[in-house]
Amino acid sequence: MKRLIWIAALAVMFSGCADKGSYVKVVDDSIKDDIKIENIIERVNSDSGLKELQIMGENESRDYMKLRYRVVWFDKDGIEVKSISENWQEFPVYKNADFTIHVVAPNEKAVTYRLFINK
Amino acid sequence: MKNLTKITLSALLAAGLMSGCADKTERIDMHNDKGDQVMGLDYRDFNQAAAEAVQSMLMSGAVDKKNGDRYVLAISRITNDTMQHIDTDQLVKKIRVELLRSGKVVVTTAVSANGAEDEMSIKARELRGNDEFNQATVQKKGTMIAPDLSLSGKILQRNIRMDDGKQQVEYYFMLTLTEIKTGLAWWEGETVIGKRGSGKSVSW
Repeated sequence: MKRLIWIAALAVMFSGCADKGSYVKVVDDSIKDDIKIENIIERVNSDSGLKELQIMGENESRDYMKLRYRVVWFDKDGIEVKSISENWQEFPVYKNADFTIHVVAPNEKAVTYRLFINK
Repeated sequence: MKNLTKITLSALLAAGLMSGCADKTERIDMHNDKGDQVMGLDYRDFNQAAAEAVQSMLMSGAVDKKNGDRYVLAISRITNDTMQHIDTDQLVKKIRVELLRSGKVVVTTAVSANGAEDEMSIKARELRGNDEFNQATVQKKGTMIAPDLSLSGKILQRNIRMDDGKQQVEYYFMLTLTEIKTGLAWWEGETVIGKRGSGKSVSW
């Protein structure tokens, strides 16, 4: 019985993640061990109605890096919402230091996202 | 006959060699271009400046009209104060497209600092009283919408000769969003892009 409850609980947890559909991914293998994503804050701005996203991470390496990120947004049905954020944007990451990426959705329809970090 | 065959073979061989030597033209992946940077401004710089400006504008709340309505934006003067022959629309168009996508702003093409961008809005009204046109289909007076906001700015370039003979070029993308009713700047943004390279590079 206990096992069944655990399986049910896990199923609910995983379906929650899948429904949400948003994630942050470090795509380049060579920086995966150095770049740690520590916190993701999401909110819908009450004035604009736009989703805001703040990713906080850390560069655990001893090297300064110039990285890039891009965000692909999707509406509630999972259809891609075109935006200028699809283009790679450069951002500096200093050695042994935290970094922050702050982005806003292109419009109110954009509710889920995929944010990619690359070299 | 033998001569003709020889000539044909030689021509084919030469053509093959020449095509092998020529650099292939490749189409750029505009979303993931890791090509070398240039000292001048290229599309990646305009993308970055436009993306930063729009993100900053949307986050600031300057384009959030109460009751969810849209502001009407007029494009004022965007000055090219660089040494390059660039069309400032390379920057402005990206901003316009993204603001339109946001659903918060619509741009008027009937009025701008350089005159109407699309003169047809006025030209079509000159059909009033023309018997050749069904007057019911001609736009009535007082139907055009005046702008609430104005976007102005400049792109500035500074060249600095460094001690080691290298050259540093700084580009400043400065933009201002003004509320026309009050003349107050509701939003201002600046993106600086710096490049350092050979002193022999030409940045114009």
